[in-house]
Amino acid sequence: MGKDTYLRKILGPERLSKIRASKVLMVGAGGIGCELLKDLLLSGFGEIHIIDLDTITLSNLNRQFLFLKEDIDKLKSLIVAKNVQSFNYFDCKLIPYHGNVMDTKAFPLEWYNQFDYIYNALDNLEARRYVNKIALFLRKPLMESGTTGFDGQVQPIYPYETECFDCLEKATPQTFPVCTIRSTPSKPVHCIVWAKEFLFQQLFSFSTLQEVLQDQLRGETDDSEEIDRINKEANELFALKSLISQEDFPSQVIRKIYDEDIEKSLRLETLWKNREKPQVLDFENTYKGPLMDMLSDASNESILSDDARSCTLLEILYIFWVSIVRLQKRVNENQELDILFDKDDEDTLNFVSAAANLRSHAFHIDLQTKFDIKQIAGNIIPAIATTNAIISGFSDLASLNYWNSNFETKHAKTTFISIKENKRATSAAVGPPSKKCASCGQVSRGIANISKDMLKMTVQDLLLKIIKKYGYGDDISLLLGQGELIYDYDFDDNLESKLADIKSFKSNEILLIQDEEDNWENLELYLNFVDGDSIFDLPDLTLRPKPQVELPKEDEDKNDDNGPELEAGFIEIDDEDEPPAKKRKIQEEIEIL
Amino acid sequence: MSLSLCKVRLQEERKQWRKDHPFGFYARPKKTADGTLDLTRWDAGIPGKSNSLWAEATYPVTITFSDEYPSKPPKVMFPPGFWHPNVYPSGTVCLSILNESQDWRPAITLKQIVLGIQELLTNPNPDSPAQEPAWKAFSKDRATYEKKVKEQAKKYANAT
Ligand SMILES: [Zn+2]
Repeated sequence: MGKDTYLRKILGPERLSKIRASKVLMVGAGGIGCELLKDLLLSGFGEIHIIDLDTITLSNLNRQFLFLKEDIDKLKSLIVAKNVQSFNYFDCKLIPYHGNVMDTKAFPLEWYNQFDYIYNALDNLEARRYVNKIALFLRKPLMESGTTGFDGQVQPIYPYETECFDCLEKATPQTFPVCTIRSTPSKPVHCIVWAKEFLFQQLFSFSTLQEVLQDQLRGETDDSEEIDRINKEANELFALKSLISQEDFPSQVIRKIYDEDIEKSLRLETLWKNREKPQVLDFENTYKGPLMDMLSDASNESILSDDARSCTLLEILYIFWVSIVRLQKRVNENQELDILFDKDDEDTLNFVSAAANLRSHAFHIDLQTKFDIKQIAGNIIPAIATTNAIISGFSDLASLNYWNSNFETKHAKTTFISIKENKRATSAAVGPPSKKCASCGQVSRGIANISKDMLKMTVQDLLLKIIKKYGYGDDISLLLGQGELIYDYDFDDNLESKLADIKSFKSNEILLIQDEEDNWENLELYLNFVDGDSIFDLPDLTLRPKPQVELPKEDEDKNDDNGPELEAGFIEIDDEDEPPAKKRKIQEEIEIL
Repeated sequence: MSLSLCKVRLQEERKQWRKDHPFGFYARPKKTADGTLDLTRWDAGIPGKSNSLWAEATYPVTITFSDEYPSKPPKVMFPPGFWHPNVYPSGTVCLSILNESQDWRPAITLKQIVLGIQELLTNPNPDSPAQEPAWKAFSKDRATYEKKVKEQAKKYANAT
């Protein structure tokens, strides 16, 4: 019996042979990627290309099953491709790339054109939006997938026929500036994030040490003294960690963090000009004696598990001390190199809640009960292997419809999973592109092939070429890159400039064209410089009338539904009559020519 | 390849501003080295309200938009050292509608922002001090505060 007997039965011989002949791209080889690659491989795809930027860390191993301990520090992309070979029954050709999907040099738009289907297995919004845009440019089918805790969703995207990734606004997670967390907390949550994400990890989590993001830090403050102090503090904690085998480790930790570090930060006077100065704990003189008395009385241990107690500062120090001793023991005796914060792990929760409260005390912030801290600290959602596995399965299965001979995009379905009793798995037909969507609802896209000798053209030449080609009636604006305006009604300085003189008019950039009269939709042209002479090929596109979308209304808030990240839904907007055209400037110029 | 939403919205703001902006204000994107306009960085001028200490002058600000705009608010800055209780020493304006975790909404327009800042000039918020000298003077020594405001107004006085 051939290994593909069942596949042939399930998919049908015709579909299977199409899948065997297909070349697909998987972006991301992490939590979802490991699972998805297995599924794609066993579905019979002929060729799979894999991009990933990361290396493997210890904390990946609990769920990214294609990685083994000996793979730590190696490249995810290469290792997934290697480690699936043992069950590569259908001789799939696997091509891994180590790199950033957004690197236009390594992966220019035309590179994506070789694929029949793209699968996103990404965890960050920026890259997912980028691939979505690539899919829109090339009109490639894209399977988007994502998980948060027990929730997950797959969304098949057929550009301009179904909703794209940007059609629904994503709630951006609340983040705190590094400086607020490290130097100037003002709310309990700042201290909890510091205790959990920084202090606990620095001392006890070997694999997930968080580097301070230097760029982010520099973007936030120009104060080089403060940056130095934050970096130094992290290095010193690292040194402190090496003392974990010593008996006086708990008192060293307390003195370092609540005495020495606070003293150092007090010396940066600019920080405290408009803020209340933090207070030093003075551990040795004020608290050490009473704390030792408390520690010698075993009946005090009941405090450790009293979640609702409003503790005194001494009691908080007691909890902190005991939790350090216990965690220290786990490291030294049980060889637990990597303790991860878990709100249900009493030692880790005690450590984080006490550390956060001690910091709150230093910065004159209200203290919280352990129960409250548990709610806040536990809110950061873990990655769950089973959710990833289920979602990857749906991602693969939902895509297989595409190769059905009678497939139509209107049959595509988005699938959600959750832990809720009556909503374990639900699916809904995907909606059409949202008229509000700036990525697909109000814009058409295409690739402009241009040979370098054509850069002697002026901006005016370009303008007239575009107006003529697409039938824009009146005035248009031309924007490049991040928001560089080359031309609009109010800005005609560049009309005589050569394209070669406009620095951002280069290959792999995007030219955004907008109708200033709002009659026709926007157009994005991907600039693709090609070899040859006298080539200036604008893509053949028929522009749609521009949907009438006003600026968002005041009462229309972000979609911060707690459900799966990509809720299905579609908002219909009534077309209204366009305001009458007012300007004729460009058209007159055409007539003159 | 930045978000289309940001660019589309910035051009829309420019268009709306051209059609309708409050009297005495100006707002224009900065010119880049190669002669284009950078829609993510604007120079704007905010006139002090007439019949106030701030009158007869137009105060310059720079407005910077990140590519997460309009999800996130722009950053507005006066020249460094600007005398106002709610302006940081760096010049950054501290105003609730410019704070993502307070009153920023993606629907807030450039016009509303500059009008909000004009209002803030005459009505400082003593509860969120951003610099010590002006805040102290405003709360404890009104005469000095007003003198400094008038001196500053002279510095930025309209050419007319
Ligand atoms: Zn869309």
